[in-house]
Amino acid sequence: MNIVLKAAAALAVATALTVPALAQTTIVAPSGVTTGTYMDYMKTVYARATLAELLQVPLATFDKEFELTPMAAESWSQSEDGLTWTFKLRPGLVWSDGEPLTAEDYVFALQRAATTGYDFAWYWDFAGGIKGWKEVTEGKADVSTLGLKAVDDLTIEVTTNAPKPYLPSVTSLWYPVPKHVVDKLGDDWALNVDTVVSSGPFDLESWEKSNNSVVLTKSDTYTGPWQAQIDRLEVDPTLAAPEVGLPAFLAGDADYSFLNTGQVPVATQRFPDGIRKNAVFATSYISFDMDSPPFDNVDVRRALYYAVDRAELTSTVLKDIAIPAGSILPPGYPGYNPEIAAQAVFDPEKAKEHLAAAGFPNGEGFPEIEIWYREEGGYNGAIVPAMAQYLQAEFKEVLGITMNIRVLPGQDWMDGLLNKKNNIFIAPYEYDYLDPSNFYGIFYNGGRHGYHVQEYDDLVAKADSEPVWEERLKLYAQAEQVMIDQAEIVPLVHPITIAVISDQLGGDAATPNSLGFTPLDRLGHYFFTHLTKQ
Amino acid sequence: MILYILRRLLSVAVTFFVVSLIIFLMMHSIPGGPFDGNDMPVSAAVREQLMSRLGLDQPLWVQYVRYMTGVLQFDFGVPYQSPGETVIQLLSRAWIPSLVLGGLGVLIGTPLGILLGMAAALNRNTWIDYLASGFATLGLTVPVFVTSMLLILVFAVWLNWLPASGWGKPERWILPIVAYAAIPIATYARYTRSAMLDTLNRPFVTVLRAKGLSERRIIFQHVLRNSAIPMVTVFLPMFIGTATGSIFVEAMFRVPGLGAYFVSSIQTRDYPLEMALMLMITFMYCIAYLLSDIAYAWLNPRIRTGGSQ
Repeated sequence: MNIVLKAAAALAVATALTVPALAQTTIVAPSGVTTGTYMDYMKTVYARATLAELLQVPLATFDKEFELTPMAAESWSQSEDGLTWTFKLRPGLVWSDGEPLTAEDYVFALQRAATTGYDFAWYWDFAGGIKGWKEVTEGKADVSTLGLKAVDDLTIEVTTNAPKPYLPSVTSLWYPVPKHVVDKLGDDWALNVDTVVSSGPFDLESWEKSNNSVVLTKSDTYTGPWQAQIDRLEVDPTLAAPEVGLPAFLAGDADYSFLNTGQVPVATQRFPDGIRKNAVFATSYISFDMDSPPFDNVDVRRALYYAVDRAELTSTVLKDIAIPAGSILPPGYPGYNPEIAAQAVFDPEKAKEHLAAAGFPNGEGFPEIEIWYREEGGYNGAIVPAMAQYLQAEFKEVLGITMNIRVLPGQDWMDGLLNKKNNIFIAPYEYDYLDPSNFYGIFYNGGRHGYHVQEYDDLVAKADSEPVWEERLKLYAQAEQVMIDQAEIVPLVHPITIAVISDQLGGDAATPNSLGFTPLDRLGHYFFTHLTKQ
Repeated sequence: MILYILRRLLSVAVTFFVVSLIIFLMMHSIPGGPFDGNDMPVSAAVREQLMSRLGLDQPLWVQYVRYMTGVLQFDFGVPYQSPGETVIQLLSRAWIPSLVLGGLGVLIGTPLGILLGMAAALNRNTWIDYLASGFATLGLTVPVFVTSMLLILVFAVWLNWLPASGWGKPERWILPIVAYAAIPIATYARYTRSAMLDTLNRPFVTVLRAKGLSERRIIFQHVLRNSAIPMVTVFLPMFIGTATGSIFVEAMFRVPGLGAYFVSSIQTRDYPLEMALMLMITFMYCIAYLLSDIAYAWLNPRIRTGGSQ
């Protein structure tokens, strides 16, 4: 009898202990692989630990319709000359250790970034245009000269070199750094779970450095917008490869998985309601050395522009992992202009005419060329090699051009592009901040390609500082028209990623937006705080 | 015997240093450095500062002497990828999953492989032999990532008996251990079969049979021991190869082990970690061969005396 009683008591205790645990909602998710050195986005971006950014609250961020939404900042305003922005912080925000989150933590984050070799420092010059940034990062000026000021605990002032009407959207990557902790521990604060403090909707529970997987929990101290709706989030980069992720998903070990082309039909058949498309806001395009033959001739470039059958390319070779690109901007991206995109038609006759006009009828006398692309993984690795072969066949068939293909390590490819060691490249680009100036900036004034098209540069410069959104869009459209008429680039495709999600997942994040996309891996703050699980 | 072991120890030490020098030179001859990132390299001023802090601005020989002096005091430096810990700490944490899974794979696979090989040898040219040899050939030729994928599909996805991947709970270990075990099973089945067949045909076996010894005693006491030399040769190197983690098995089963660091340390030019991993492997192989030699000597006295037949 005694034994029975003991067993019953033990059972009762066990049940009492396990019931609250069962009520917890845990989501197991894949994520992109990084090397995971620091749990601090403002220390390193390229080697940051998984979801380091989700621990901190940016000044503003984007929702699934790509609308800018205030987060730590409650409001912002621009001075009359357009050069100074004032951000007002939401009162009551605290760090997970109870210390108040202040304007000083944001200013400190960028001051430190400008002086200690931040690998994303270029962003604050290229996108932010913060006054004095270049001089300070090059060690030519003191950090106090930066256009950044904590006016009081809740007010940040930012001064830019030129009017930057889109500065608030740039601040979506401006995360605070806990000055009070860094003062004590230095950069090491972000190396151990015990010393990491957070300001955002999640806290860090554990971090497995060997595979950079993390467990985050809903924050008890975060008072800002977008509270987490789940209790725990397990993010594992080793689930990112669809070959590993899908079997784990099928066995119930993961709540969603990205898919490779081969997996899409199977997954679609088994989970017709679980398929989600994810816009990565990237574009693959052909770029040229426009200063040397044969691509110094606009007709040659135009011939290539018309010789690509983007619909066939994306519906056959790149089935389900890319959509046709007619513009440098992807559909849904702010400033996307469907009229410009519509001009990129497949017209073999026109292509032949342009090539003949350049002095190469049916490709006769055209030199053998070699297209260079860079070796990489991820979504680009999945599309670019196949696309290069498709283009090779297409250019031969339509234009009679012989094009060889060469794959290079990233650095050699970049070196070839910047120093014009070859004359034709497949170039991929993914956005860094959600504003048209991001994509147009890479061709501006030498930029990434050494292009100098005066008319284009003038229009982009004007658009970049134009305060009225509609006027800016008109100027960017004109600039892009110049880019297309000059065939500075041949837009090819926009990669997308496809995933299958469990039917237990719900909430706004699991529902596609008005364009049919679900923000599975770029808009982390939105996605993980708007996801629920049954 | 002791003199023999001392002589061998000395040669291990020499090998260790020669290999360390070769690895060090090869490591530094790969173009690029730890701060020449693909994405957005750091500015020249910052790179200089980092290189000087890590002593990478010193001449190569100075760097080598410094590193090896550290190694002799068990100080392998701090990995660039994970600056919050020492190389030793990183290795001791990441090696556990690899050692547990790979080690168990070999320890379970080896006796199974020997049994399979014996069964094949003793039933030569019967269906048992064909089945065992077929299995062994498959085990050696099918890449481990295919085996892993099949195991996941059958046992996790279709039958739903076991979790597909992950680390932590022991039920998650079963499939990767099976994947690892396939290699020793196949290897041992083949080695045992051929070594036993070879020994079974030797005249002394006929003599033993003529003396009227039971078949069981002949097999276990005489044939198996005489066939053991090739098996000893294979065991330790295979143990090292498996217990340091396979990047494929660890990736397929999501094991946070050592495997991935072999690749990432080279890719990111994480010199301290790369050097430590290679030295660790070298050291283990040196010791493994030393132990194998001692085992040979024990199994076959002719080896230690250098005598001939």
